[in-house]
Formats: sequence, structure tokens, C-alpha cells
Amino acid sequence: MILIGKVALGLVGTAVAGVGLLCSEGFVEVNVVEKQPEAHHIFVVAPAMLAPIGMHFVPKHHLAQAAREVRPYLPVIRAALDGLRDADDVTLVEVTEPDEHVTVMKEGGSIIVDVKDKDETVHVSVPIRAMSSTIEELAAASPATQP
Amino acid sequence: MTKGLRRAAVLCLLATGTLTAATAAMAGTTERYLHVKVDDAKNGESVNVNVPLSLAEKILPAVNKGNLHAGKVTVGDIDADGVDVRGILDAIRSAPDNEFVTVKQKDQEVRVAKSNGNLIVHVKNNDKDGERVDVTVPMKVVDALFSTAKKDELDIAAAIRALSDAGDILIVTVQDASQHVRVWVDSKNTSE
Repeated sequence: MILIGKVALGLVGTAVAGVGLLCSEGFVEVNVVEKQPEAHHIFVVAPAMLAPIGMHFVPKHHLAQAAREVRPYLPVIRAALDGLRDADDVTLVEVTEPDEHVTVMKEGGSIIVDVKDKDETVHVSVPIRAMSSTIEELAAASPATQP
Repeated sequence: MTKGLRRAAVLCLLATGTLTAATAAMAGTTERYLHVKVDDAKNGESVNVNVPLSLAEKILPAVNKGNLHAGKVTVGDIDADGVDVRGILDAIRSAPDNEFVTVKQKDQEVRVAKSNGNLIVHVKNNDKDGERVDVTVPMKVVDALFSTAKKDELDIAAAIRALSDAGDILIVTVQDASQHVRVWVDSKNTSE
């Protein structure tokens, strides 16, 4: 009985550790609300860690083209993400038009994009750490980095 | 009692010293922002951009595309039409505050001056739009811009570093009949 208890405790511990690891890079949040008569509402919250993990299991040859295209920009992307991670929270860009309002913010380790126009409201939040991990996975798929 | 008082005094001194050092360190790391605000009253549009200068300092050296490389931009021949721009800037740097150029034409007024360590350029068009451009650049930033060894390069990264040390400053304003553009640097993370 004690052995079963120990095994159960081990399993629960592993599950908790797994969930903790999965959530360690925060969450990607996408919220789209349409304002049409037949309004659609899309709301997705997913562990950000899924993106780099997913990229890791995609066959490298499927990512080769994207990896090749992103390669020249990697130093800039890395510098930008490093800089953003270290920067204080800030509204980077705000565009206001009569029927549209767009903001791009850095808030609490995430980049948040909000778009409000007459047709829909879009909210996207992506942790910067997850962006870095995903980009590094993509970079690793570049033919130049293959053995 | 005297011993106790001495200990308390030493502790107070240490605490004050630590606080002062911490305050100085925090003041040294205050983030500074380059703000760009464009208001188009006629069309009801506005654009605000707030860039942490530390972010710009990190990104610029990483960009190697076109004329921009390693934080420097190649601008071709700076000696425009035989005019030695660096030479002129050297002369302005060493000159006292003064109004160097004043041009008044029927449709345009131009003024170039040096005042309180800043290079100031005013341009005013006397047409129906009445466009007005005011540029104020600290001489330290101009120096940093021209600090590269190559004559055809401007060191943008050095200029941004100089700008972050230059204090709060309104760098550019452009005003015409419908649009108002402002570029400035301060330590606020909003455009308000």
C-alpha cells in the first residue's frame, strides 16, 4: 500500500513538474472578437513553451526554407529580443485613426498587440522568452547549422 | 552610553552611505526613451512611438543592411559640393554661442545658431501651409555622430549613446497646416 502511495506521489510529482516546465515560459494568448451580426469569438490560451517544443519536433527539412530566410536577420532579432527583455514596460507603438486603434506594448515580459477597429477586436500576447526559444529552434534548423 | 551613541552614529552613517550609493546607482540606470509623436488633426490620426534608448543601442550595432552597418551609416560624400561639413562643425564647436546663418527670403526663413551647447536650426516657410521646422541637437550628439574615422560615415550608435546622456530634450518639431510632428527624449515611458 505504501509502495503504491509512493508511486502515485512520484507520478503526481512528475505531472506537476511537467506542467510547471510547460508553463515556465508563460502563456500565449489570442483573443479575437468580431463585431459582425454573426460574431465569432476566438479565445486561445496556450503554454508558450509549446511553440519551441513543437518546432523541435518538426522535421528539419520542412523548416529549412524559413530558417534560410530568417538567418540574415538573426543578429537583429536576437538583439531586439534581448533589449526588449531588459527594457521596462512601455507602449512601443500606438496608432490612432478615426475607426482604428493599434497598440504594441511590452508588458511584464510579453509583447502585447491590441487592434480595435470597426469590424473586430484582436488581442495577442506572446512571452518574449518563448519568441527567443522559437527563433533559436528555427535557427537550429538552418542547413548551415546541420552536421 | 557614549559607546552606544558612537555605534548608532556609525550605523546611521553606513545606512546613509548605502542609501546614497543605491540612489546614485538607480539614477544611473534610469531608462530613457526616444519619443516620436505625429498628430494629423485634419484626418484625426495620430502615431506615437516610444523607443527605449537602451533597446536602440542594442539593435543598431546588429543591423548590417544597406548603408547601415555596425551602428554606422554610410552617407557617401559628406563634403557636399566641396563644403567640408566636419570643418564647419569643428568651427561651430569651438565658437561661442552665436547666430551663424540667417536667411530671410520672401517665402522662407532659415536660421542656424548655437545656444547653450545645442545646435539649433529653424526653417519657416511663408506659404499657405506655413510649415515650420525646429531642430535642436546637443553638440555632444553632433560630435558623436561625426566621431568615426571614416569621412563618409555617421556613427548613429554613438549619437544615441550621447543622446541618452544629454538630458530631456525636444529635438525636432515640424508643424504645418494639418500635421504636428515632435521628436524628443525623456525618461517617461509614455508620450504624454
